[in-house]
Amino acid sequence: MEKYFDASYIWNSIPVLLPFLKVTFLVAGSSIVLGTIFGLLLAAAKLSSIKLLQKLANLYTTIMRCTPSIVLLFLVYYGVPALAENFSINLHSIETAIFVVVTFTLQFAAIMSEVIRSAYLAINKGQFEAAVSVGLTPFQAYRRIIFPQALVIALPNFGNGMIALLQEGALAYTIGLIDIVGKANLIIASNINAHALEIYIALAIVYWVLSIIIEKFFAMLEKFFGKGKKTLETT
Amino acid sequence: MNYQFLIETFFVALSGVPIALLVTVVALLVALPLGFLLALTRINKIPVIHHIAKIYVSFVRGTPIIIQIFIVYSSIPLLLKAIFEKYNITYDIYKINPIWYAFIVFAFSTTAILIEVFRSALSTIEKGQLEAAHAVGLSTFQAYRRIIIPQALVVAMPNICTATVNLIKATSLGYAMSLPEITLKAKVAANVGYNYVEAYIDIFIVYLILCSTVEYIFKRYEKYLSKFKVAKA
Amino acid sequence: MLEIKNIHKSFGDNEILKGVDLAIDKGDVVVILGPSGSGKTTLLRCINFLEKADQGHATFGDIQVDFQNVKKKDVHSIRQRVAFVFQNYNLFTNKTALENVTEGLIIGRKVPKAEAIEIGKKALDKVGLSEKYDSYPSQLSGGQQQRVGIARAVALNPDIILFDEPTSALDPELVGEVLQVMKNIAAEGTTMLVVTHEMGFAKDVANRVIFMDGGVVVEEGSPHDIFVNPKEERTKKFLKRVIPEDYTYYI
Repeated sequence: MEKYFDASYIWNSIPVLLPFLKVTFLVAGSSIVLGTIFGLLLAAAKLSSIKLLQKLANLYTTIMRCTPSIVLLFLVYYGVPALAENFSINLHSIETAIFVVVTFTLQFAAIMSEVIRSAYLAINKGQFEAAVSVGLTPFQAYRRIIFPQALVIALPNFGNGMIALLQEGALAYTIGLIDIVGKANLIIASNINAHALEIYIALAIVYWVLSIIIEKFFAMLEKFFGKGKKTLETT
Repeated sequence: MNYQFLIETFFVALSGVPIALLVTVVALLVALPLGFLLALTRINKIPVIHHIAKIYVSFVRGTPIIIQIFIVYSSIPLLLKAIFEKYNITYDIYKINPIWYAFIVFAFSTTAILIEVFRSALSTIEKGQLEAAHAVGLSTFQAYRRIIIPQALVVAMPNICTATVNLIKATSLGYAMSLPEITLKAKVAANVGYNYVEAYIDIFIVYLILCSTVEYIFKRYEKYLSKFKVAKA
Repeated sequence: MLEIKNIHKSFGDNEILKGVDLAIDKGDVVVILGPSGSGKTTLLRCINFLEKADQGHATFGDIQVDFQNVKKKDVHSIRQRVAFVFQNYNLFTNKTALENVTEGLIIGRKVPKAEAIEIGKKALDKVGLSEKYDSYPSQLSGGQQQRVGIARAVALNPDIILFDEPTSALDPELVGEVLQVMKNIAAEGTTMLVVTHEMGFAKDVANRVIFMDGGVVVEEGSPHDIFVNPKEERTKKFLKRVIPEDYTYYI
């Protein structure tokens, strides 16, 4: 009788899956970079004194927060080319990965705008005042005093955002991206659905390890940049 | 754009709301007490359990929920099949309503999220509150029920709101278990005439309404609860 | 050296400064007294453009400013000449004590780094913190933090240092060390404008005392004028409230 569960499938599939992390990383990395830039702009809008900009940026964030990734993914995948068609631009032959990046850029920007905004607000107004009172220009004050402090505050949330993005990115297979999840589904299909569980467990292990690595990496960064926060030894 | 389809399918998507909400409510009913209890084991460093809880939280936070769904959806039938064969139960496991799988997956993942929510909320309550409760003659259990839990709930409420909204959003992945919720229903309607853009706009609007309503209710409740927040001296 | 004329400032409907005049000469140590809400702190913050005054004129040496129409360039050059000591220190939390002191020198004034470090160390020595160059603010007590704040101001070698209630946030036992440092730098001839509730400091160190209430200067004069022979009723009332026992003694 055939075994229902065969753990060797887990270990054997991991080396097959790992090369496809490249696609996962590429898509996630691009979304992080673009999303952070867009998020910075959104945060600037939220912190600006122009009411309309604030409202628009907040509305955008609320909409993103209320939209499941998979819905956004399909909305972008089907909706953007359809929209472009109205302007007689043909986007149907564009690579799937681009749609994935667009989707997660939109989503990550919303997350980042909140991370950046709250980090900025956490900095005491007095830090800026002290900086200009010792003769720094406002720009120098932001660059040398406010930004480094906000960065430290934002780091843990940035790390959490990255982990969340990586996991939401697992849905990219639904529009046909062959990343690590897409490859796993291909393997399962080629096995005629046998031993799907083992492959999924392998997938879970890969993601779990990745998340732990990111978490540890950010904890290290925080320690490194967090000088002035530590209350321990005096040099 | 097929506007008639857009309007018709909106109601199809809407008809998936009860299932999505049922899954959400059941998951929360399991996860709220269980998450709180496990958070207490983390705070009080109960041997073994708090390590297990830690690994459990790490796993749920470290793996995409779609993969958790895949695992549950492919492992439970295997398990049940083995059990049924052993005890000679003749029940077709493929007749099990997928909603049971949904309950399991979402309760499983939400519990882990709420462990962390409660743990961080409990850690913000000063030790002095428990000591003061003891000092006026309350037992530890009474102190938790009457003093600590109400305070922790106020602190945890915004994160419980986020967790609830995320949970509702995550039910959109029920399609992977053939759960007839919002997304699946609208998608099936779209399959007939390839009206995917319209269908996803409908799904998008339904979630937007659903999630912003839930957020609004939580905001109102937080406002009501905020009377328990004492201004810092 | 510093002259302020008819400065006005409102927050919404609340008029905080209702036309204050102020003149300070080189070497002056001027203390501003007054009940909370009298506009003392706002006046100080307006002088350094931390608040934007609604109306009035200022002269800093050769720079003339109309508060209604302030040029960015003037703000920057006045801030280069005026140093500020904050009530809650506002040390840069991401920088060490020494870096806090040198930041304005190196970045704001383009002083070469080595020279700035030397100036910074001297300033910290002066406030008695030779041991704490590399400590971060979080590793210092409130009194030590405020002394770094003072060193940061002194190191800039400004024309005037503004002190905004420098001891109000401190535990009582730490007030003395900060006042002593302020006394020392006053003795060196530093021009100082001090908002404080420390009557002893006003009596012993100031050469001029200004009493403000309700957004106007009620009375000003030498410490003797104010503490022994106050003319205005409001001044008398205030002094009676803050130093009741001394008051009977003076009568």
